[in-house]
Amino acid sequence: MTTQVESPPQRDLAAEPSWWERVNKATVAMLGVTVALFIGFGLASPNFLTFDNMSNLATQVAITLIVAIAMTFVITTGQIDLSVGSTVAFVAAMTAELLQLGLDSSLVIVVGLLAGLFWGSVNGWLSAYQNIPPFIVTLAAMSIIRGFALLWTEGFSVPIDRRLFVAKIGEAEFLGFSALAWIALATAVVGGILLSRMRFGRYVNGIGAQEESVRRAGVNTRRIKMITLMLTGLAAGAAGILTAARLGSGSANAAEGFELTVIAAVVLGGTNLFGGRGTIVGTVIGALITGMIANGLTLMGVSPFLTPIVTGLVLIAAIWINLRGRSLAQLFSHLTARRT
Amino acid sequence: MMSHESTDARAGDTLVTLEGITKSFGAVQSLRGVDLRLGAGEVLGLVGDNGAGKSTLMKVLAGAIRHDAGSITVGGRQVRFHSPADARSEHIGIVYQDLALCDTLDVASNLFLGREPRRGPFVDRGEMHRQAAEMLSTLHVRVRSTHQEIGELSGGQRQAVAIARAVSFQPKVLILDEPTAALAVAEVRQVLRMIREVAARGVGVILITHRLQDLFEVCDRITVMYEGRSVEDAAIADLDIETLVGMITRSNTTTEEAA
Repeated sequence: MTTQVESPPQRDLAAEPSWWERVNKATVAMLGVTVALFIGFGLASPNFLTFDNMSNLATQVAITLIVAIAMTFVITTGQIDLSVGSTVAFVAAMTAELLQLGLDSSLVIVVGLLAGLFWGSVNGWLSAYQNIPPFIVTLAAMSIIRGFALLWTEGFSVPIDRRLFVAKIGEAEFLGFSALAWIALATAVVGGILLSRMRFGRYVNGIGAQEESVRRAGVNTRRIKMITLMLTGLAAGAAGILTAARLGSGSANAAEGFELTVIAAVVLGGTNLFGGRGTIVGTVIGALITGMIANGLTLMGVSPFLTPIVTGLVLIAAIWINLRGRSLAQLFSHLTARRT
Repeated sequence: MMSHESTDARAGDTLVTLEGITKSFGAVQSLRGVDLRLGAGEVLGLVGDNGAGKSTLMKVLAGAIRHDAGSITVGGRQVRFHSPADARSEHIGIVYQDLALCDTLDVASNLFLGREPRRGPFVDRGEMHRQAAEMLSTLHVRVRSTHQEIGELSGGQRQAVAIARAVSFQPKVLILDEPTAALAVAEVRQVLRMIREVAARGVGVILITHRLQDLFEVCDRITVMYEGRSVEDAAIADLDIETLVGMITRSNTTTEEAA
């Protein structure tokens, strides 16, 4: 007997789902935390919600955000880059040293970016093509790169002439916000487009979920993984130049523990620490949260030594939401899903 | 059970012929001379006990493994595959058991993984979802939306998406490795129905499965493998499940014959 199977109901399968269905639930949770922190600090300190402080906050967050945008790609592929703090210090020290040697600012900027890209390429090649876990590669690179910077500067902070173009970048402003903040915003926009609108971003997400599936689809997954680590190197190079510009000096001891702040910002925003799901909007929110905690606590007159403790606690809470939020989101979509 | 036309009526022109295929891995001889024929629009069940060489044979046909001796003829031409790309260029597609999907990407992104339609440098998401919806509707794949993440789908839906992706490459031959393993009954029916629809388009389908009841639902013919050899080839209409089990286990064959 022939079994008749009825045709499925024809709906517009391609219809764009609602905003709530599309949105990363962990990011929404963190947006809630951001709003709560805004209100909390706003009530606790009258100076918090002023334009000057918001502009100040944007500048404080900028350097973290620039590297965090690139780190979002690395973490989304299921990798990690622990060497970004050292690369920032190396490039900051190099920028100051090269300027002292009398090199032109524009050349120093190019060399600084290339240096970051070089360290990123080394990390990427060893991880993606030599199959050494990125955790190990970048942990070793963290030590080596800072070591070179220390060797070069002998541990001294190298001053930068305030009249030079590089130093002026650190002081430049536009519409009340620093050049650093605008650069960070531009990086976030480019990162957002790259991750969500281009093939590269899809492969980054896919590799973090099931690398073998992406490879079998004909994508050179090693190259994609290497490029993501080159991006963090490049971003750390830019961050190194901007750090030197902002501080007016280059030091091999700069950006200690910076990698943890960056990783915290990425994970706080809802990017899955184990890969497969990345969000640039979330990273912006995550960077804002880490910056806001430091800024708000300082304005409240709390001991600065309390800041890392609070940041750490918020990070643990965020990771809890990152892990649990997904299962809560799945439960929610299960409850609201139409039967297919 | 579904009614079947005769083998010759449904099996059109011969698409693929394998003759005397052998393959060794070191001292282990996995394939000892396999013959197989597949016609257009035909569903061929490839069965055999674990270690009989089914998967190895299919990897040879899909270009994932190079065979040692024997011949592969596709569309009347003798070919030799050095890579999966070679097999794909001969329009031979395969869906492995692990499906090769990405859980965190949506249905459309999985269907077009590695060949996303673009508008300038950007992925043309509207076009991708439109084509994906069309593809799924044609094959009657039941998903809520092309925007659904693969991780949210049931096993049957995932299998259906994987088959739809393979079909979108417009294969002449489609190999399915255990597509109904670990699926719920309703989902098995969906996948089997899809196989029939694919075959109805003139695609020759090779189905590897341990679920013998599926063979009677969907196949025209079966080839039985035993210890690296093809030992039986019969129209499914001439078989019942007990005979088939006997063929697979060689329980009605003497040791000398089996060897």
